[in-house]
Amino acid sequence: MMWMDVENITLTINDSSVSGREGMTILEVAKENGIDIPTLCYIPELSPTGACRICVVEVEGSRALVAACHTPIAQGMVIRTHSPKVLETRKTIVELLMASHCGFCMICEKANICDLRKIAADLEVGLPRFETEKRFYQIEDVSPYVQRDMSKCVLCWKCIRACREIAKKNVYGTAYRGFDAKVVVDCDQPLNKEVCRDCGICINYCPTGALTRPKKLGEEKKGKPLVISS
Amino acid sequence: MPQKRVVLKNCGIIDPRQIATYLQQDGFKAWQKVSTEMTPEQVIEEVKTSGLRGRGGAGFPCWLKWDLARKSPGIEKYVICNADEGEMGTFKDKYILGNDPFSLIEGIAIAAYAVGARQSFIYLRAEYHYLLDLLQQAIKQVEAKGFLKHVKIDIRLGAGAYVCGEESALMDSIEGKRGEARYRPPFPTTEGLWQKPTTINNVETLMNIPQIILNGASWFNQIGTERSKGTKVFSVSGDVAKPGVYELVLGTPLRELVVDLAAGEKIKAVQVGGSAGRIVPYDKIDTPLSFETVLGSGAVIVLNESRDIVNAVYKSLEFLAEESCGKCAPCREGTKAIVGIMEKFSKGEGSERDIKLLEQLSSALPLSSLCGLGQAAPFPVMDSLQYFKDSYQSRIKEKKVGVVK
Ligand SMILES: Cc1cc2nc3c(=O)[nH]c(=O)nc-3n(C[C@H](O)[C@H](O)[C@H](O)COP(=O)(O)O)c2cc1C
Ligand code: SF4
Ligand code: FES
Repeated sequence: MMWMDVENITLTINDSSVSGREGMTILEVAKENGIDIPTLCYIPELSPTGACRICVVEVEGSRALVAACHTPIAQGMVIRTHSPKVLETRKTIVELLMASHCGFCMICEKANICDLRKIAADLEVGLPRFETEKRFYQIEDVSPYVQRDMSKCVLCWKCIRACREIAKKNVYGTAYRGFDAKVVVDCDQPLNKEVCRDCGICINYCPTGALTRPKKLGEEKKGKPLVISS
Repeated sequence: MPQKRVVLKNCGIIDPRQIATYLQQDGFKAWQKVSTEMTPEQVIEEVKTSGLRGRGGAGFPCWLKWDLARKSPGIEKYVICNADEGEMGTFKDKYILGNDPFSLIEGIAIAAYAVGARQSFIYLRAEYHYLLDLLQQAIKQVEAKGFLKHVKIDIRLGAGAYVCGEESALMDSIEGKRGEARYRPPFPTTEGLWQKPTTINNVETLMNIPQIILNGASWFNQIGTERSKGTKVFSVSGDVAKPGVYELVLGTPLRELVVDLAAGEKIKAVQVGGSAGRIVPYDKIDTPLSFETVLGSGAVIVLNESRDIVNAVYKSLEFLAEESCGKCAPCREGTKAIVGIMEKFSKGEGSERDIKLLEQLSSALPLSSLCGLGQAAPFPVMDSLQYFKDSYQSRIKEKKVGVVK
């Protein structure tokens, strides 16, 4: 039966009529139609978590905004991906994430490939105005494979999912509540587990500089240096 | 009389340790009627006609949940009774559980029959562990009478997290995981506990079921207002002479509850619905209590003129920030940011700029948070900014320092 492949759901995104297949998310349909919705915790090959809320969009008839990365499309949906309300909300979320972020971009290895920084720049989030606490943790460099600097973690849960779903190892979990929530190993031990080999998958998925390969003395830095132009 | 006993009908009348005393009060007559005369569809129809809405806070139509779960494919389904009662200033479920566990069990039996569930869980707040034995004995007695052949009821204890009262985190907790909100859809009625169709109802919602079946939906439908049927059990605390549990017909003005019954004096404001509830200033004290206006979980905290609103809001937000599950960014970071600003105000360091920031956060959190905690967290901030703005502004002008208790 071929009907599964038919684009049988029609909806409206930003005033133009588009179509999609049953089971697709708003994000997938938007992407197919060249509409860019920023995401931080979403990875196509991993199960969604809906944690960062940066992908929120406006759906007519819904009081709150909905996250594009996990909300399935429905017939006749009317969606706005860049309305003032959406942009305002997205900016606030990114500003909040930046406010508690350690802010060592200048000396961060991932500075020029950091997703958070990119999103903040795209949304024109300047210096955060919220004076919340900065996350601060000791760098964990016990493991020869992964160095963890949880001060830079944005809690996107990507490392947890990549380790669980791709490497099938389940090394990471979450602990603590509220602002203290943290990605941990066991009962918050520094990562140094037998099960963690050198697959390094979590490092590749980490959108910030929280997870890096431990530096060996004399090793060259990967990527271009950060250039700041005025 | 606005006071009416529907939910609390047997409280104080029966002995919670003796099923015989419950049977004397028409106990399990509703279940007998359901199991002998009614199909599950008819039960759902009856609940629909009654207009019963969830008492846990959100006010979702009870029948619709049951219907969706019933119609979801699969033979394995669950009925959960939410007895987590973590909301600040709520203690009505504790009173109900301790005084009339049998009505609840009868309600669960009927719900399970309607939904088609063979397993049910009561998720009990960790601090209520002393009720565990009473509940287990009650379940045993009901089993011995042969009323629970179709469903097994187990009790699961929480571990002290407020967010685990939120339905999706609650299911995580029962599954043995850390309680974190899940995104929706899928809703619990299609993919709930262990990905199976599940209904979750508050204790009080289920307490209404036997009465609706016994007395008929039209009897229930006549009580209350247009869109809020039946009664509501309130937990009244704070600056009142007679704090406690009161059951009132929905639509009763707040004044009757806090002034006439609980004997509150010199009231400044009333926080209805707990930490993330609405703040009703004294000049709006005649607001009817209903789903259309203010209600929430039925927590009613009275603040008299000696209280400082800014500090009350600060304390509420501190609670919410600490209890956020920490999964979604707006709630985790946003509640923390609000607490930071409120702290500034309480120290007399706030500014007009901070009010702007509070407003910005109050608009972003309800729009983007993953679950009800973050969505409702800014309500007390918004309400206090609306009704008690001078309380903030006087702190800016006079650099007034509040006593933080
Ligand atoms: C943070 C949070 C805490 C909650 N705590 C409780 C609770 O302690 N007890 C409860 O019955 N419902 C609680 N709820 C509401 C539940 O999510 C759910 O709506 C309710 O149990 C459904 O039952 P009802 O339809 O019978 O009201 C809470 C919701 C949120 C967002
Ligand atoms: S360590 Fe990196 S991948 Fe893991 S949750 Fe934090 S930011 Fe995301
Ligand atoms: S990308 Fe959708 S919630 Fe994070």
